[in-house]
Amino acid sequence: MMHGFTDQEWESYLEGQLTTEEQDRIEAHMLGCWSCWDRYDQMNLTTDQLHEAGAAVRHSLQPSERQLQFAFRHVMQQLRAPAEQIQQRLDRLETVMAKMCGTRTAAQALQHAAKGSPAQSLELVTSDNWEPFLANLTSLAIVMCGETGAHLVRRNGQF
Amino acid sequence: MDEKRIIETFLQARNEATFGELFAVVYPRVQRYFRLRGMDSMMAEDLAQNVLLLVFQRSGELRAANLFLGWVFAIARNEFLRFWRQSRARIETVEFEAVESDHHFRIEPTFLQDARFYEWLRYLDPAERDLVVLRFVEELSYEELACAFALPLGTVKWRIFNVKKKLAGIISADAAHNQRFRIN
Repeated sequence: MMHGFTDQEWESYLEGQLTTEEQDRIEAHMLGCWSCWDRYDQMNLTTDQLHEAGAAVRHSLQPSERQLQFAFRHVMQQLRAPAEQIQQRLDRLETVMAKMCGTRTAAQALQHAAKGSPAQSLELVTSDNWEPFLANLTSLAIVMCGETGAHLVRRNGQF
Repeated sequence: MDEKRIIETFLQARNEATFGELFAVVYPRVQRYFRLRGMDSMMAEDLAQNVLLLVFQRSGELRAANLFLGWVFAIARNEFLRFWRQSRARIETVEFEAVESDHHFRIEPTFLQDARFYEWLRYLDPAERDLVVLRFVEELSYEELACAFALPLGTVKWRIFNVKKKLAGIISADAAHNQRFRIN
């Protein structure tokens, strides 16, 4: 706090993020306060220099297009591998359930279980959100296929 | 397409095409962050790829596009800490010093065209460096910084102002020196 203004207010003023009234209040004070004017001058220079030097760093540290493409391909490869495993597991669950309650009902059960889980849709089920999805599906399977059927679903869904 | 639009499009439809657009915008930022935390380029690339992988996998949890970059850098900071704990290296104390025995954590000032920024970072503690890098290099808003550091907005502003106070004397002296140099 300095002369009735908090550090947060000074910071917002330096970055031009105050409302017109708040800005007027600080400026009216600075017109009559040499120490605040002096301090503002120094802090304003610091702010400008930090932004300027930061921009220079930003431009000097850019990966090339080739590096960017290589990194993207690498990440996509990592994303695809578990996705394929998940798809195989979902197919297996659907096959197991289809035998007990029919293909259409099994597909709907999978979609419903995913919708009520953190994944929110079947396409977004991953190894990270697999457990809550499987718990939902097992609950549905108890109602649709009985305890034994649900146990079978749970066993087939476990990693 | 501007950055905001790219982020919104990705959050609305997560697929390879929208992720590709997002990757081109976010990956350079994250990689740069790790380099400015003192990592060599290969290590920075590896960690940045891990972060982008997590961004894709976890983006279903995030709805507010305006906090996206704050959320990304929260992941990046966690990834950095995880790596630091695993490697058991005392990275915070060595990252801006030339330690010959540990080349992974030796910062290379030559990669910076403007060495001033690097010099100023030396005067700050690790948490302050993080704040300065994300504010002035990555230009995160106060709201995004609050998200990245899990701090209230007022605390973020207060911390930035205090970093500026800490650097004001050094920066003013540098500016005065440069002005004299130009005149002579």
